[in-house]
Amino acid sequence: MQRKYYSITLLLLLVVFFNGCKEEEYALPEAKTQLQNECIKRSLGPNVVGLDLEFVYAMALGYNAGKITSAQVEASIPGASGTYLEHRSFYTNGSGVDVPVTVGNPSVTTGAKTEVVFTKDTCAAALRYFYIIPEEARGKEVTFTFSAKASTGETVSYKMGPYQIAKMDMKLDLVLSDNNKMYLSVADMAVYNAAEAAANADKIDLVYLYRSISGITFAHALAAPAANPEYLPGITLPAGAANNTKYLKVYGLRDRHLARLQYGIYVDDVDFEKIDFTNATNYGLNMKVESGAWVETADGKYRAYIFVNKVDNGKKEMTVSVKRYAMK
Amino acid sequence: MKKYLIIPVAILLTAWAWVSCTDFPVDEDGLLITDRAECYVSNFDLLGTDFQTVRVSAPTIDTTAQTINIKVFYGTDLKSLWPQFSLVTDAKLDPKITGFVDFSDLSNPKKWTVISGNRKVKKTYTVYVTVQEKP
Repeated sequence: MQRKYYSITLLLLLVVFFNGCKEEEYALPEAKTQLQNECIKRSLGPNVVGLDLEFVYAMALGYNAGKITSAQVEASIPGASGTYLEHRSFYTNGSGVDVPVTVGNPSVTTGAKTEVVFTKDTCAAALRYFYIIPEEARGKEVTFTFSAKASTGETVSYKMGPYQIAKMDMKLDLVLSDNNKMYLSVADMAVYNAAEAAANADKIDLVYLYRSISGITFAHALAAPAANPEYLPGITLPAGAANNTKYLKVYGLRDRHLARLQYGIYVDDVDFEKIDFTNATNYGLNMKVESGAWVETADGKYRAYIFVNKVDNGKKEMTVSVKRYAMK
Repeated sequence: MKKYLIIPVAILLTAWAWVSCTDFPVDEDGLLITDRAECYVSNFDLLGTDFQTVRVSAPTIDTTAQTINIKVFYGTDLKSLWPQFSLVTDAKLDPKITGFVDFSDLSNPKKWTVISGNRKVKKTYTVYVTVQEKP
């Protein structure tokens, strides 16, 4: 009985073995010879006005079929000054360096269209496109149509998007200095000295100060003009500066746009809408590098995220970068 | 032949029955009730809205008087502090900490009860917060 089972099992194993070893004929796949295209978006994070949207547009046709004559991008909203399509195709060499190969004339932008006319006899190219986000696109969606033409008369196109352009503003590296440019206006996204602050008293949202007091940790601080005077020692506010700004201290929220560090964190429009100011106060002492604060102006018109890029105890300075979102 | 099948099955069934009949008591939170009767706070901290500690130095925890004395930095906003307790093994805290707590009413210090692992011993700790003063 047992021998019978062994025989059947052996037979089955042999069948499996022969099937498994069956060799399949391999044929090299044949490349298409007609004009083809492909596109990828390289830039990451929210699309902020003034920054760029970066793409790579690749196009190719058969080696003996013909050559590429032109490449073009059309944006649904014309890009701001500085928008261009590369006239050089890049490849990465053995050392990891991107080496350019010129394939055509520098791009020409007419309205929403940016075009590169090829001057080299080439059947393949990958061109980078840098779209500088214009003010007109704020809060809107942008789409792109990439297209290429070949000497064979073929035309191909590739649609990208839509991409939502953020409503928020951004200002980098505002230097606050104690007893000088110490008034921060979220409404104006600017820092003022005492004389300038006096002229814009109603727009002063925060006051910067540095104090080295033995026994306590005060150091670099931001406080609303309406904060307890205890947190504004030695400060005489400009007449009319009385905003009670909401202030919520945070640490480690290293927004990539503001911090320009390796962390892939982005503050986006939705964060401003959802932030809860229930636990907010109106001051923050001992602000450190890579700390920050969510802020809401007294009139509720703006919300902002202030990131501390740098502090200098010797110079009594603090460098901040700000993202601001209009709530009303 | 049959006995080779019956014996392992019988062993497996016995093992399964043994395991399934062992009782592991859990409380209303689904936490294991153990034999431990120890009931104390081993460490305590307070975090600000930035989730960084606001305590100046290590707190004084009196397990006999059941008090915790903690000093926080000058300028700390006492209205929004997140308490963090370290408890003895298997103990739990009541009420649970689910968010920021308002410590601003210094005349009415906050209280938390530590419940031992066997859920039979309960000790209520009072947290006294003092703010570092400007010299």
